[in-house]
Amino acid sequence: MTDVNDVHESTPEEDVEIETTRRELIRRAGVGIAVIATAGMGAKTAVAGAPKYTGRELKETLRIVQWSHFVPAYDKWFDNVYVKRWGAANDTEVIVDHINVNDIPARAAAEVAAQSGHDLFFFLSPPAAYEDQVIDHKEIVQAVTRKRGKIGDLAFRSTYNPRTKKYFAFSDNYVPDPANYRTDLWGEVGIKPTSWDNVLRAAPKLKAMGNPVGIGMSNELDSNMALMALMMCFGGFIQNDKNRVVLNSKGTREALKFAKALYEQGMSNEIFAWTPASNNQAMVAGRLSFAMNAISITRTAELVNPDLANKIELLPIPAGPNGRIGLEHVMGCYVIWKFAKNKRLAKKFLADLETKYIGAFENSKFYNFPSWPNSVSNITRRLERDPVAKPAAKYKVLGEIAEKYTKNVGYPGTSNAGIDEMFNKFLIPQMFAEVAQGKRTPDDAARTYDRQIREIFQKWRDLGKV
Amino acid sequence: MPTRRRRESVLTYAVVGPFALVLAFPFYWMLWTALKTDGDLYNTENNPFGFAQGSPTLDNVRFLFEQTDYLRWLGNTALVGAVVVLITLAIALPAGYALARLSGRWGQSLGVGIFLVYLVPPTLLFLPLSRLIAELGLQDSLWALVLVYPSFTIPFATWLLMGFFKTIPRELEDAALVDGASRIRSLLHVVFPISLPGILTVVIFSFSLCVNEFVYALAFITQSSSKTISTGIYTELIRGDVFFWGALMAATLIPSIPLALLYNTFLDRFIAGFTGGAFR
Amino acid sequence: MWLDRPVEVLARHPGKKRRRDLLEQRRFLGPALISPAIIFIALLVGAPLGLSVYLSLTNATAGSLSGDFVGLDNFTTQWSDPNFRTAFKNTIVFTLIANLIVVVGASVLAHFLIRPFRGKWILRFLILLPWAAPVALSTIGFLWIFDSLFSVVNWVLRSLSLVDAFNPPQWLGDPTLALAAITTVHAWRLLPFATVIMIAGLASIPNEVNDAARVDGATGLKKLWFVTLPLQLPIATIAVLFGIVFTATDMAVVYILTRGGPFNSTQMLPMWAFQTGINSGSLGPGAAIALYLLPVLALVTVLMLLFARRVEVT
Repeated sequence: MTDVNDVHESTPEEDVEIETTRRELIRRAGVGIAVIATAGMGAKTAVAGAPKYTGRELKETLRIVQWSHFVPAYDKWFDNVYVKRWGAANDTEVIVDHINVNDIPARAAAEVAAQSGHDLFFFLSPPAAYEDQVIDHKEIVQAVTRKRGKIGDLAFRSTYNPRTKKYFAFSDNYVPDPANYRTDLWGEVGIKPTSWDNVLRAAPKLKAMGNPVGIGMSNELDSNMALMALMMCFGGFIQNDKNRVVLNSKGTREALKFAKALYEQGMSNEIFAWTPASNNQAMVAGRLSFAMNAISITRTAELVNPDLANKIELLPIPAGPNGRIGLEHVMGCYVIWKFAKNKRLAKKFLADLETKYIGAFENSKFYNFPSWPNSVSNITRRLERDPVAKPAAKYKVLGEIAEKYTKNVGYPGTSNAGIDEMFNKFLIPQMFAEVAQGKRTPDDAARTYDRQIREIFQKWRDLGKV
Repeated sequence: MPTRRRRESVLTYAVVGPFALVLAFPFYWMLWTALKTDGDLYNTENNPFGFAQGSPTLDNVRFLFEQTDYLRWLGNTALVGAVVVLITLAIALPAGYALARLSGRWGQSLGVGIFLVYLVPPTLLFLPLSRLIAELGLQDSLWALVLVYPSFTIPFATWLLMGFFKTIPRELEDAALVDGASRIRSLLHVVFPISLPGILTVVIFSFSLCVNEFVYALAFITQSSSKTISTGIYTELIRGDVFFWGALMAATLIPSIPLALLYNTFLDRFIAGFTGGAFR
Repeated sequence: MWLDRPVEVLARHPGKKRRRDLLEQRRFLGPALISPAIIFIALLVGAPLGLSVYLSLTNATAGSLSGDFVGLDNFTTQWSDPNFRTAFKNTIVFTLIANLIVVVGASVLAHFLIRPFRGKWILRFLILLPWAAPVALSTIGFLWIFDSLFSVVNWVLRSLSLVDAFNPPQWLGDPTLALAAITTVHAWRLLPFATVIMIAGLASIPNEVNDAARVDGATGLKKLWFVTLPLQLPIATIAVLFGIVFTATDMAVVYILTRGGPFNSTQMLPMWAFQTGINSGSLGPGAAIALYLLPVLALVTVLMLLFARRVEVT
């Protein structure tokens, strides 16, 4: 349910959300304190807040740091509503700080070096390298499992280290990575991007229309995810289920050849310069016909260019010769440092957050999917009821993607420190870009990068982490 | 000769003009972007130098001031800069003087040594420093920056002041000494006033170094109310894969213009001091 | 006159005299004045530097300040990594090219800005702008200027029909162009700074020298070569030195513009050190990479400072 105690300064875009809240309020008369939110064009609005615990000194303090969520409304809800309510119920003052997603590693390293910092630290990818600095999160996993059943396979493989038998993080959410495509443009070509073959077939025509396909090959997150997923669809995996590097394989070579062909026939050279925002901007500007991205594209389009938003739809990742295998776009992982001051409450906070994940799911506009699938009831129905989407059931496919087509980075193995380092050095986009630009042959690239990644893995193996 | 002067001034404009154009063009572009609505900005059809679809608008600026702690960050940056400048002067002035006058041969090498400090990138120094900051209980406090920033302003300031003090003829000081003043007195009453241009330069450069600093501010402070503009902007106007370009550009312009005005004003003064001062 | 008083004071208070005598001692005063600076730097730079050196000799990971000793392994293994070699080469290339542009530009600009002319204040204001803007923010501005789709540079080129509308030059996506873009931003940022230093250098040339030169008939180019440049050389060397140091140790520009891309071809050592040590958690190797440049820069610094001292005209 959209939380009735929304503490909100309403902007026009959020008017719709407020309407939903009002409707729900009328339905649930008598629950909680009514929120009066007057909407106005950009005017600052006065909002009656959550129940205030006047003046009483709270016994404990809990300090959290996390990224500035792409959906500002989520941060507003989390900071002003959720933690205040939880804090009141647990006699704790909860302080939430925000940092840019790119600065998370630097701040994490600083806190470890300082041996002092926040109780809960949020990473947007499994922080395998920090395993020695954090507690074993097993307790929290067990607590949630008792109430919500088994942890999702994705979250398990992302936060568990089979060699040390330790949960080095607690994942509360992940974000599925759908394919976004323009129904009108693909309609003109006459096929749908349900398989990579189709994509390659349609690409030259789309490019000729001035609407190229967009799979980034740059040093950034979107490229990393899209290319790794593409590779898996062709049978190329970085490691096997025993966490041994198997990059140099036929599947990888096929994927490289395919990507090169796709670039030459259907993409423009901008993909080598992309930032995480670039595919969003290109699609919202009407240029791209196809992109792999979380729903930030559609959500932005809904705000900036609603006509265009109606023409963008979502599908699971196209299928390749090895089937349909996708990756999460980002993975929310909280860690509790060994030197955290308030470990008990930190654990309780995480357990409580995940057990009732509905508020987070809705307030993030379906960006955050729960790592325990049972933590949000009736996901499909909620997705269907999105107030803004046209067609209304646009986001329904997210449920299917989340359930069937979202794997962890490093699948079929676990997300370990070797994978993490390779990921942070953008070696996969580098490999694809070099082949696409003709600087290496697919054979040479697969061999070279296999060797580089093996060296990285060996280093971490020697440290006992892989 | 009038023609010669005219030729000179044409040459001047021909040279300085293009430089000024190229250097200032990004800011001109930032101004334009800051005044555009998102609908106008993200449309490749639109002329970027024109306005369409609701532009020009002050929405971006309004967003900056109302929905973020921007004003606070500006204040924090100014405060940190000012305090660090004072600390720098307090430590670098005597050091620069000593190196220029009093230290003989080993003073030279010490001067070089101070300079070598700059060669280590802060990209890794911030880790051990984080430990120090935490031990002192300064994590998430602006005082952490006040403590650490002088570590890169002092070497530069000392170096600069050493240079300036060297250009002040010894005769001036010696004259005062002969007249019976102690060295300290001569320092205060004779040397420092003449080196005012140098001091001004140190102020400008140190302040500029502080405002530009990024890595330490990032590592030491996460609380929004204690952020400086560099980190605050980065955190709240770049959310995941969405850049709030309009607000970003506005945020860059707002401190830059007053700072440039300030620097420009001081520049006149210290050049005047140079040519006028010590060679009366 | 005001200087008479101290003598009287000293005559009346012999104890104070002894203290003053101490302060008069060159041997005491000098170190006393320098020590605050030395202590500050020793604590806040020297100690962390020492710790970084220690870290580079270990296999520390993920922010931990300790690890197992591995000797010089972290340093020697770097050479087999092509990305490291690229970063090393780039650091040298970017620094040299950017500073060449800066030193030529600044000298020329300073030469013209030293004289009064109409509109000088405004033009100077415009020239100072890049330096006044915080580097992190102005680089974001450049990110927008070089954007893959919305670049204003490309828009201008397109309207002049100089480039293909569909495949415009990717200023941050093509290795050569990206190199040019990063070098440009470095130079852009440093030019005002160097100009100011050069102006100061020019302004410090005493009037007597200018007058003497004019009397001797040295004007225009001759004056430039025999009088101005030699006098300017020490300051110019310092300006170049700072430029080199600021460029070679800078991380912000590469971090914001390309993250080292396309395909890690624009990596620079500070950026690569950060990516290895912080983003990937391999702290030991990261520290080693960061320290690689230290001896090179130190050598350059010492050489340039010696040069500056040599050409000082007293």
